[in-house]
Amino acid sequence: MKILRDPLFHFAVAGLAIFLLYGWINSARDQRNQTITVSNADMERMAALYAAEAGTLPSPEDIHAMVADHVRNEALTREARRLGLDQGDTVVERRLAQKMTFMIADLNEQGPPSDQDLQNWFDTHASVFERPAQMTFQHVYFSDPTDPKISSTLNALNGDTPPDWKASGDPFMLQRQYADLPAREVARIFGVDFSKALFSLDNGAQWQGPVHASLGTFLIRVQAKDAAQMPRFETVRDAVTEHYTDANRRAQNDQAVADLVAKYKVEIEGVSQ
Amino acid sequence: MLKWMTAASALALITACGGKDAAPEKPATPATEAGDADTDAPDTSGTENRTADYNETRNAYFGDMHIHTRNSFDAYIFNVRTTPEDAYKFASGETVKHPTGFDMSIAGGPLDFYTVTDHAAYLGVLPAMNTEGHPLNALQRSKDMFSTDPVKITAAFQGVGTSVRSGVPIAEMYDQEVMNSAWARTVAAAEKYNKPGTFTTFSAYEFTSVTMPKSDDGTFGGGNLHRNVFFKDAAPDQLFSTLDSTNPEDLWDWMDSQRANGIESIAIPHNGNVSDGQMFKLETYKGDPLSAAYADQRMRNEPLVEVTQVKGTSETHPELSPNDEWADFEIYDRLLGVYTVSDTNYGYAREAYQNGLKLQEDQGFDPFRFGLTGASDSHVVGGSYTEEDYWSKVGVVDGLPVQRGSVPISPESDPNNVRGIKVGTDWNTQPDIPTANNAREWFSRWGASGLTGVWAEENTREAIFDAFRRKETFATTGPRMKVRFFGGYGFTEDMLGASDLAAQAYAGGVPMGGDLVGTGAAPSFLAWAQRDPNEGALQRLQIVKVTSGSEMVYDAACSAGEPDPATHRCADNGATVDLTTCTPQGDGAAELKTVWTDPDFKADQYATYYVRVLENPACRWSTHEALRNNTAPRPDLPLTLQERAYTSPIWYVPPA
Repeated sequence: MKILRDPLFHFAVAGLAIFLLYGWINSARDQRNQTITVSNADMERMAALYAAEAGTLPSPEDIHAMVADHVRNEALTREARRLGLDQGDTVVERRLAQKMTFMIADLNEQGPPSDQDLQNWFDTHASVFERPAQMTFQHVYFSDPTDPKISSTLNALNGDTPPDWKASGDPFMLQRQYADLPAREVARIFGVDFSKALFSLDNGAQWQGPVHASLGTFLIRVQAKDAAQMPRFETVRDAVTEHYTDANRRAQNDQAVADLVAKYKVEIEGVSQ
Repeated sequence: MLKWMTAASALALITACGGKDAAPEKPATPATEAGDADTDAPDTSGTENRTADYNETRNAYFGDMHIHTRNSFDAYIFNVRTTPEDAYKFASGETVKHPTGFDMSIAGGPLDFYTVTDHAAYLGVLPAMNTEGHPLNALQRSKDMFSTDPVKITAAFQGVGTSVRSGVPIAEMYDQEVMNSAWARTVAAAEKYNKPGTFTTFSAYEFTSVTMPKSDDGTFGGGNLHRNVFFKDAAPDQLFSTLDSTNPEDLWDWMDSQRANGIESIAIPHNGNVSDGQMFKLETYKGDPLSAAYADQRMRNEPLVEVTQVKGTSETHPELSPNDEWADFEIYDRLLGVYTVSDTNYGYAREAYQNGLKLQEDQGFDPFRFGLTGASDSHVVGGSYTEEDYWSKVGVVDGLPVQRGSVPISPESDPNNVRGIKVGTDWNTQPDIPTANNAREWFSRWGASGLTGVWAEENTREAIFDAFRRKETFATTGPRMKVRFFGGYGFTEDMLGASDLAAQAYAGGVPMGGDLVGTGAAPSFLAWAQRDPNEGALQRLQIVKVTSGSEMVYDAACSAGEPDPATHRCADNGATVDLTTCTPQGDGAAELKTVWTDPDFKADQYATYYVRVLENPACRWSTHEALRNNTAPRPDLPLTLQERAYTSPIWYVPPA
């Protein structure tokens, strides 16, 4: 950008800064001069707040009423301050704290993250976006872990003329085969203990087990075992953006408040630090 | 600039919702047919749209259908700032902040379905009142409600409670635009998180009708006639709240008219236990006699009842079921916001079943032929379903063990400052201050409950809502135990070993929620329970039988041995709890399964049968918290409890 090196541009920027500073001083003087200024920015802020809560944009009458309200409030507030009424009033204090919180949030409103920001976030938070390991398996269930049929059924299923596995063992209340289940789902349906045991098995044509778990005893045939897989960045870009923006806003707001709090020495009666 | 964009997109969102409602995808369902959904054959049409886990013999799905967020007046006032979107994130397994600052995460992994049910009365109004720049913010009531003066806050908030109870709106804060806008955002959140095959949401709200208390003390206290309203798919633009009418029959009229316009819904009442004897009373809201038309309309609109939640059990009460050794379970009987005890009669489901059969026999209609569900009623967007990890319901007033009475309060506590509440050591020196009294009367007696289980072909709105209509539902007090229940005439012991047991049961009988029409022969019942693999083992499976003149609890399957045929009781399985560690001791069953026949069956007598399944004893949440705090457990609470599940009944109808 050649323009950034142009002295005329620098001059213009400095001029703008002086103009803004003058405006600020002027508005400060206005306050002393008993002038209440309602800027476009003020009105935009009021209208946006109205719209965010009411869900509809304010009508001209609404804006007129809000401006009148604002002016009335401003006049009363200045008078109240002049008389020192803001000291020790919990309503005022609470409102000021809230306003400061809003301001901190505003300070941290940033533009859209760059590709590099997102790529870095994706790289350092891989586990969030990773497709977890999955199992596709069939099982034969025995409700009684001491059932003598467990070992004979296992032998028969792995023998030369195996019985129909779907008709073997006890009836199972849910399904007898599941496809592409991640560990979290397996734990939800079969329990954490079963899930751990299942994911330690390898896939193959043989029936394995018995696996003893809180629901009972299982013979298992693992048809597919898919390791965890990282998706390509492009396919999860939207999710990354959402996570990134969310986490950043939260972290920056927390940090800003923490920085503020850190400026103070906190003493709580009865609590030694 | 950014803010203008936010405003514009909010506007776009609302317009989009309006457009959707204006063009319902389905033709109107005739109101007279909607209640008649006792058909049992799994729907096999439209196979091309099935999700991956579609199962002809149906899967068990678990959900919580009673959740409040910042948009509820009684959540926002207790510092709840989390939104419907946060609620759905919590149910999907993400952590969400409790108003006191700690992270809540869901016990047992993500739920299959979840529903935000904020109070329609003043929906989203308190957040608007607390937003600088909003017209409602200018109200004196807003300044008082969000001050730090407890007297002003209480006065301003109780005014809202009084208005909800009386049904008379406070004109200055009854802002229909604000409420419609909050509702549109609630609907949008449900739409955003509804993922067919993975996670189901419904657009829903709470109709918060409260009866007048016997003594008018100007508070919220009164009989709880609350019900949650669930829309199957399309939702209306504006809700019918208790500020439109406090009469639930007017709500049913409104639901009927919505249905005629293609917007299908059901309502689920809750907390009959604190309805002051009103929920299942034997007259209309206005005191007229019940009629067949009343029963039709009630069943068309309210096929289900929530019987377990944080504020106690509505199955039955020891006074109503003196011969049921397990009836004294998580009984809570204080009217809303006061210490007054609720009338017991006409508040509980089992008694309603009995009165329904009486009406059936005497007058030919039954307004109480409902199925059962469970929920949390959490006001902090996330339910606590396990005794080990409990955070109660309301927010900043019951977020700490000392506030909810599981650990003693120090007599040195400053009653005028929430931060002045100190943990004590001695239950004999509880100070007479609001925090201690509220803990004793209310919070210590609330519980870590509950969930709804449904049997549905797949995890979609369509399949789950159809299960609600069929009443193929069961309630649990938190654990995800699964219960199947069928009634038929050809069930045999052999079936219990058949690999296609569920398919045979569907083919040869009716599932829970169905009517079993008499043939003159004695029916048999197939009851089958599977434990939550990550919670406690099962102790016994019971069949509760209700007739117009009696009730009876039969143990039908035991974790060890068979029930005694004379007493209908299992032998003690010896399971206990080590109270020094809260570790369960002794064996229980992974599953219980039986074909049961009624030893007292009479072919010409109406009878209602449902299954209750009990886990082995475990520490109650209050005992866990006392143990963690190294103080004695609260003396006026049970140390242990037996988690349980209740199925919807099967109704035996004698041959004509």
